[in-house]
Amino acid sequence: MKDMTGTRPLRAVNWNRVADPKDLEVWNRLTANFWLPEKVPLSNDVQSWAQLSEAEQRLTIRVFTGLTLLDTIQAGTGAPAMMADAQTPHEEAVLANIAFMEAVHARSYSSIFSTLCPMAEVDEAFRWAEENPHLQAKARAVSDTYAPGADPLKRKIASVFLESFLFYSGFYLPMHWSSRARLTNTADLIRLIIRDEAIHGYYIGLKFQQAAARESDGRRAELKDYAFSLLFDLYGIEALYAGDLYDGSGLTEEVKAFLHYNANKALMNLGYEALFPPEACQVNPAILAALAPDSENHDFFSGSGSSYVIGRAVPTEDEDWAF
Amino acid sequence: MLDTPDHGLSAGLDHHALNAMLNLYDSEGRIRFEADRMAARQYFLSHVNQNTVFFHSLDEKLGYLVDEGYYETQVLEQYPRAFLRRIWEAAFAKKFRFATFLGAFKYYTSYTLKTRDGARYLERYEDRVVMVALALARGDEALAMSFMEEMLEGRFQPATPTFLNAGKKSRGELVSCFLLRLEDTMESIGRGINSALQLSKRGGGVALMLTNIREHGAPIKGIENQSSGVIPIMKLLEDSFSYANQLGARQGAGAVYLNAHHPDILRFLDTKRENADEKIRIKTLSLGVVIPDVTFELARRNAEMHLFSPHDVERVYGLPFSEISVTEKYGELVDDKRIRKTKINARAFFQTLAEIQFESGYPYILFEDTANRANPIAGRITMSNLCSEILQVAEASKFNDDLSYAHLGTDISCNLGSLNIARAMDGGDLGRTVETAVRALTAVSEMSAIDSVPSIRRGNDESRAIGLGQMNLHGFLARECIHYGSKEAIDFTSCYFAAVAYHALRASNALAREHGRSFAGFADSAYADGSFFAKYVTRDWLPETPEAAALFERFGIDLPSRGHWAALRDAVIEDGLWNRYLQAVPPTGSISYINNATSSIHPVAARIEIRKEGKIGRVYHPAPYMTNDNLGYYRDAYEIGPEAVIDTYAAATEHVDQGLSLTLFFPAEATTRDINRAQIHAWKKGIKTIYYIRLRQDALEGTGVEGCVSCTL
Repeated sequence: MKDMTGTRPLRAVNWNRVADPKDLEVWNRLTANFWLPEKVPLSNDVQSWAQLSEAEQRLTIRVFTGLTLLDTIQAGTGAPAMMADAQTPHEEAVLANIAFMEAVHARSYSSIFSTLCPMAEVDEAFRWAEENPHLQAKARAVSDTYAPGADPLKRKIASVFLESFLFYSGFYLPMHWSSRARLTNTADLIRLIIRDEAIHGYYIGLKFQQAAARESDGRRAELKDYAFSLLFDLYGIEALYAGDLYDGSGLTEEVKAFLHYNANKALMNLGYEALFPPEACQVNPAILAALAPDSENHDFFSGSGSSYVIGRAVPTEDEDWAF
Repeated sequence: MLDTPDHGLSAGLDHHALNAMLNLYDSEGRIRFEADRMAARQYFLSHVNQNTVFFHSLDEKLGYLVDEGYYETQVLEQYPRAFLRRIWEAAFAKKFRFATFLGAFKYYTSYTLKTRDGARYLERYEDRVVMVALALARGDEALAMSFMEEMLEGRFQPATPTFLNAGKKSRGELVSCFLLRLEDTMESIGRGINSALQLSKRGGGVALMLTNIREHGAPIKGIENQSSGVIPIMKLLEDSFSYANQLGARQGAGAVYLNAHHPDILRFLDTKRENADEKIRIKTLSLGVVIPDVTFELARRNAEMHLFSPHDVERVYGLPFSEISVTEKYGELVDDKRIRKTKINARAFFQTLAEIQFESGYPYILFEDTANRANPIAGRITMSNLCSEILQVAEASKFNDDLSYAHLGTDISCNLGSLNIARAMDGGDLGRTVETAVRALTAVSEMSAIDSVPSIRRGNDESRAIGLGQMNLHGFLARECIHYGSKEAIDFTSCYFAAVAYHALRASNALAREHGRSFAGFADSAYADGSFFAKYVTRDWLPETPEAAALFERFGIDLPSRGHWAALRDAVIEDGLWNRYLQAVPPTGSISYINNATSSIHPVAARIEIRKEGKIGRVYHPAPYMTNDNLGYYRDAYEIGPEAVIDTYAAATEHVDQGLSLTLFFPAEATTRDINRAQIHAWKKGIKTIYYIRLRQDALEGTGVEGCVSCTL
């Protein structure tokens, strides 16, 4: 919460006076994209789930548990911490929306679990998440920057890495499954999450760039050093985490290429140059193409797709009814 | 499953990865069509060929497939062995090749005959085509040969249930789309749910009409506030459809239609809201709204629209609500004190409709009065089906207390097949192609007998209704360097559909002559007194633009003149028609991929389409005949806009006795007003039904996938 004891008056948010048009654009996009997990017919994946081997099921549950942890952090501490740093009430409103949607995402994984798997396996996975040193390390590295009193800009850097980089080792798996006609409705739900996270990472990165532009050269250099060193640390942890998850299925190399690709995207969101050379970012085309959220032509009888939005209601006028 | 043992988890560019490269530009910004061809090749080399059971000869193959119970013996026994050899040889001599990865993948995943463990393939494409031809020709060698040729040349493609099942021993039905009436009695509702289960079990999609069900709060046995309206019935139906899933092959699918003037209409629509409560949310059931002309008139005047209690209407008129034309009786209904009514603002209703369509793509719309004006058959059209192209009359059933029929009415089944417009034009003999298709579809109707739902069986026996559809309009136009929606394109569409209507009627007339009788109810139809033909004998339906004229000329297609039509009219009055309905244009999903065609008569949804289905996952499909040099003719449906799509459909609708699945495409920035305007335009242009509303949201700048074909259009 903002400091309310000083001389600053409390301001009501006026959406008719928007200092940064991006705030309104992103707000409109986020609200149009609102969704709840109940809209996706996850139960259509029950049979597909049963066809996965035990090891594949365990992998999938663990991946989603890891994602749940990250969403929990972002909803509970990340976005609220950044709200305190907000420069305008509009930015604060956008962040409130981000916080809420992160909570929806965290909730969604539980919907997947309750639809597809027995509770005991889920409990086991949550235990695993608490005990896995790499998962804990990366969660810790980010949430440290969310602590009260931490540097607000470094907080944004960490947050962009979370939104645009750390999630993707997890997103890889449902995209991989769906390109093989498995868990396609679950993949729809994940694609809705990806659609949101892409905007979150983009928006927080943009706010970082705006704020950094107002800083001194020295401070900017410090931030950049910090960003790259944090990314190195996170990448180190992430590579081990990916190994833990994917070594058994032989997918680790592909996942790493995907991590490189997304690390570069995260840096791009912050306004920095790419770290990994293009050769290291050769993502399997099936995964890359699967990330595109739009214009999917699905068969309506087996899924709901991920392209519907809440529309803008505008009444018709007399001229429309001239016949 | 047919995947490699590790589910393709091992790295390396397999056919999926190659196929996905279609969606990513190369370094010069060109679409990589060759990657898709490599994917198809790779798929055959590394997967199909290795998993196909090999036979030394046709005799060995047929012997095995019959002995093991894969093929139906009776189908093959109708023909001498020498003929079987001849037709198989002729089929393989045509050297069929799939044009795209998705075509091959879809065929082998969903259609071809497999060993019982699903591990190995027993048929190639040619085998499937020949078996379908043999089954439908029922022993007629010349007809079997024609069916095989039309299918293998890609001119005629039966719909999925026929193409998938014909000739197989353990198989589903050859038809898969059904329409059922529900009446306002518990017996009818119970029977309806039972029928939905039975038909789903057999692989069908089922639409049910709820218009006659009494509204929420209506009295039961005279006691007020007892009925719970249509929502609980929808819940029961939704659960029934998910329960009956054909051995897990596919979820049952269902749709429900409700009249816009039913008191539950807003509750009905709210079931699709994003924030609907779980108790009333409808996830997988499709919705359709039946809108009469008067609703538009009320909206024009910005007036209130009255909703009428179906229970009271039935008591006052002695007829179910659906049998009353709301447009005709509107004033009378409003003034009748005995009929309970509520009011909503008509424009607000249309706006709500559009809001729900934004969020869910639903409901479909049936313009009731338009459909009935164009219906040549006596009776009322009150609903459509799961794809909104079937428009036929039905008759209510009545039940005894023990659920047996007191009066067996008729319900509707539809059997469909589509012509590939580009291939049909290439063939140069449209008359022959249409006639062959009509005979194939008629065979499906004659071979079908759905005994589990007697009203369906009776409807089919009496009507022999078929639905000849069309696909690949956009592909054909683009190949011929004509823009979809242009004046020439609409001119072509009008002439083409008029010619198809002519040949379909001609074929059905010939069938009636062969059988010496007509469908039941012919005498009361607009065919019997010749009035149906008025618009064909008083003007010509020939090209008005030189471009369209040149097209027909170039492919050697003769178009019927009004003289031809007059002769046909006389022949129909004399000998009748064998089929009560002839045309219906379905959305053609799967079969258009196999057939390398654009869907239906829509524009492409994208140059590189992302196709997602439960069975195949996410696959990329290039528009037919597209190259890096003719991309300009493949503007997608979102760029083309709803107006040109509606105008194209209007030209075709003129000549189609049933309906056409018309999807409207909007960018996500559109408003409900844009959707309403398109609906008004469609209604004004004489469109009968609207299928889905589809939205495309462009990725926010900076958040898309770089170099991705589908993001950058």
